[in-house]
Amino acid sequence: MPEHAEHTIEVGGARIHYLKGGQGKPLVMLHGAEGSLGWRHYHEQLADSFTVYAPTCPGFGQSERPPWLESFTDLARFSLWLLDALDLSQVTLAGHFIGGWLAAEMAVMSPRTFDHLILIDAAGVQPQDGEIADVFLHGQEGTRQLTYFDPQQVAEYAELFQGKPSKEERDVQTRNQETLVRYCWKPYMFSPSLPGLLGRVHLPTLIIWGQDDRVVPLECGTLYQHALPNARLEIIPQCGNCPPLEKPTECVQLIRNFLT
Amino acid sequence: MFLMRFTERAYVDYSEEDVRQSFRSAVRLTFPNAHFNPTLGADLYNTYLDEYEYAEEVGFDGLMLNEHHNTPTCMGAAMNLEAAILARTTKRAKIVLLGNPLPIFDNPLRLAEELAEIDMISRGRLVSGFVRGTGIESWATNTNPVYNRERFEEAHDLIVKTWTTPGPWRWEGKHYQFRVVNPFERPLQQPHPPVWIPGIGSPETLIWCAQHHYPYIYLETDPQVTLDLTAIYTEAAKQVGYEPGPQNFGYLVRVHVQDTDEKAYEVGKGFLIGNAGVGRVPLPGDFMAPPGYNSREGAKRIVDQYRRYSLRPDPLYGGVDSAGWEKVVESNRVIVGNPDTVVRKLREVLSVVRPGILGVWTNDGTIGHEDTMRCLALMEHDVLPAVREMGKELGLPGPFEQAP
Repeated sequence: MPEHAEHTIEVGGARIHYLKGGQGKPLVMLHGAEGSLGWRHYHEQLADSFTVYAPTCPGFGQSERPPWLESFTDLARFSLWLLDALDLSQVTLAGHFIGGWLAAEMAVMSPRTFDHLILIDAAGVQPQDGEIADVFLHGQEGTRQLTYFDPQQVAEYAELFQGKPSKEERDVQTRNQETLVRYCWKPYMFSPSLPGLLGRVHLPTLIIWGQDDRVVPLECGTLYQHALPNARLEIIPQCGNCPPLEKPTECVQLIRNFLT
Repeated sequence: MFLMRFTERAYVDYSEEDVRQSFRSAVRLTFPNAHFNPTLGADLYNTYLDEYEYAEEVGFDGLMLNEHHNTPTCMGAAMNLEAAILARTTKRAKIVLLGNPLPIFDNPLRLAEELAEIDMISRGRLVSGFVRGTGIESWATNTNPVYNRERFEEAHDLIVKTWTTPGPWRWEGKHYQFRVVNPFERPLQQPHPPVWIPGIGSPETLIWCAQHHYPYIYLETDPQVTLDLTAIYTEAAKQVGYEPGPQNFGYLVRVHVQDTDEKAYEVGKGFLIGNAGVGRVPLPGDFMAPPGYNSREGAKRIVDQYRRYSLRPDPLYGGVDSAGWEKVVESNRVIVGNPDTVVRKLREVLSVVRPGILGVWTNDGTIGHEDTMRCLALMEHDVLPAVREMGKELGLPGPFEQAP
C-alpha cells in the first residue's frame, strides 16, 4: 500500500495543509464542497501510479485563508501559487465538484502549468436547462442525500459520515461551510465567463460524470465538453455527484486509461 | 419610561400541516406563497394600520414596526411603506422602526432617502432602528451571510454620514461604492433621527451599540439572559467613558390584557401561533443562521446563555409552546391577565430588567381584531398610566428623557 504523509507549506502568508503519497508523475487532486475528507481509497489507488498531492484549499480544514482571499477567482490564483511553491509544473490537475471548477479556472489562467486536466462532476458552468442543486438550502444532511446514487455502494460512507463528529470535527465542518459560502454564494457555483474562457484551454481533458448526479446535472458535463477544444466525457452509470467515493475503481481506471 | 406598541402583523390563514408540507417543513423562507390570499391580505394590512392608529389614541408613545421576508409570521416585508402611512395618519407617537435590515440593501442611499422622507412627513417622529436581519432575510434576498456584519456596519456608517455630512462627496467602501453622495432631502431631526438597535444578544452587536450610544432593545429575551447581556453592553460603554442607564435599554415582551384573567389566558394562547420563536414547527437552524451569519464566538455565547436560562430547549427555532403555555405564563415570558394582573407582572419584569423603553407586543397569531381592540382600550386607563408611574418610581427614564 502506498505511503502518504501530511505536510504544510507557507503560501502567500498562509499555512496550507496537504497530503502527499505514491510514486510517479505528479497528480494534483482538488477536493469538493465538503473540504478535505482525508486520504481515501481513491487516493490510494491513484497513488499506485502517480505521486498524488491532495491540498486543502485555504479556509477549509487546517489550511489558513489570507484575509484578502474572498473570491473564487482569487482562490484559483492562490492555488497556482501553491503549485509554484510545491515546485510543480507540467502536472495533471484534477478536481471534483468545486475542485473541478477550481481546476478549470486554474487551467484558464495558466494552461501551460498543466499537461492534463480532469474534471469530475465539476461545478463552474451554468446549466441551460436544469439547476445546480443549492447545497446551502438543502443543508448538510439533505445535500448528502442528494450526493450519492446509493450510499450503500459508498464503502467509506459509515466511516466518513455516520459517526457522531467530535467537537473538533464539528468546528472544521462549520469552518468549511463558512468558507464555501464565502467563495460560492453568488453567483451560485458558476462563473458566467468560464465557458468562453475555456475555448483557449487546449489541454487534453477528461471529464468524468456520475450519470445520476442530482447536484451538478450531467448537462454541465456536456457543456464542459463543448467548451473545451480537446475534451472527452466519460459517464459512470448508477453513480451520483461523487464518483471518487461512490465508484472509486471505475473512476480511477478512467483516469489511468487517460493518463497512460 | 417610553412605551411602544408592537405586533408582527401576522398572516393567519394557514395550517400546521401546510407548514409541514413545505420544503424542509419551514414556516419561513420556503413556505409557499400560494397560501397567501391577497384579498385577506388587503383586509389585514388595513386592520393592522387601524390598530396602530388606535394605539396612538390610547396613549402609547411609540408605534413599533419590524420587517421580515418570505414569511406569513410578519407581513411587514416593506416596513417603510407602513411607516410612511403612519407618518401621515398619526400625529403624536414616534414611529419606531426596529428595524431596517441593512445588509440586504444594495443601495443604502435609497434607504437614507426613504427614512428622511418618513422623518419629514411625520414632522420628526422617526426612530430609525437598524438590524442585521435574521438569516431568512439573507436567504430571501440572496445576500451573502458571511458579510452580514460587515455590510451592516458599512451601510450604517454610510447612511449616518449621508444624513450628517453635506454633499456631494464620494464613498468607496468594501461593499458599497457611490461616486456622488448627495441626496437632496435630509431628515428633519438633527443631527439625524435616533438610532435604536433591537436583537437577541449578539455580543458584537451589544458592544457596537454601546460604542455608538445606541439603545439596545432586547427582543423578549429571558430576564436572566438579559442581565448577562446588559453586563456586556455596560462594560463596553465604560470602556468608551460612560455609564449606561435604563435609557440605553429596551425590552420587548408579549402583553395581552382582557377584562378577566381567564379570558386573557385563553385569548393569549393565540401568541403561540406563527410568530418568531413560537412557530408551530421548528425552523431549520441553518435557515435562521446560515453558515457565516454569526461569528463562531458569538453563536456559541448565545447558545450557551439560552441553554442556561431559557424555557425553550431551542430558543430561536423551537418555540415557547414547547415549554407549555402554563409555564410560559407563570414565568412572565408572556404576560396575560386583567389590568391589575398585568401591571403586577410587569412590575416583576421591569424591576429585574430595568429598561427605559418597554415594547408591548399586544397581539399576534390568532388573536383577532376585536380582542386586540379591547386589549388596547383596557390599556388606556388601567395599564399604561400605572406603568408610567412605575417607571418613575423605579427610576427608568426613556431615551427622550435622558440622553443614552
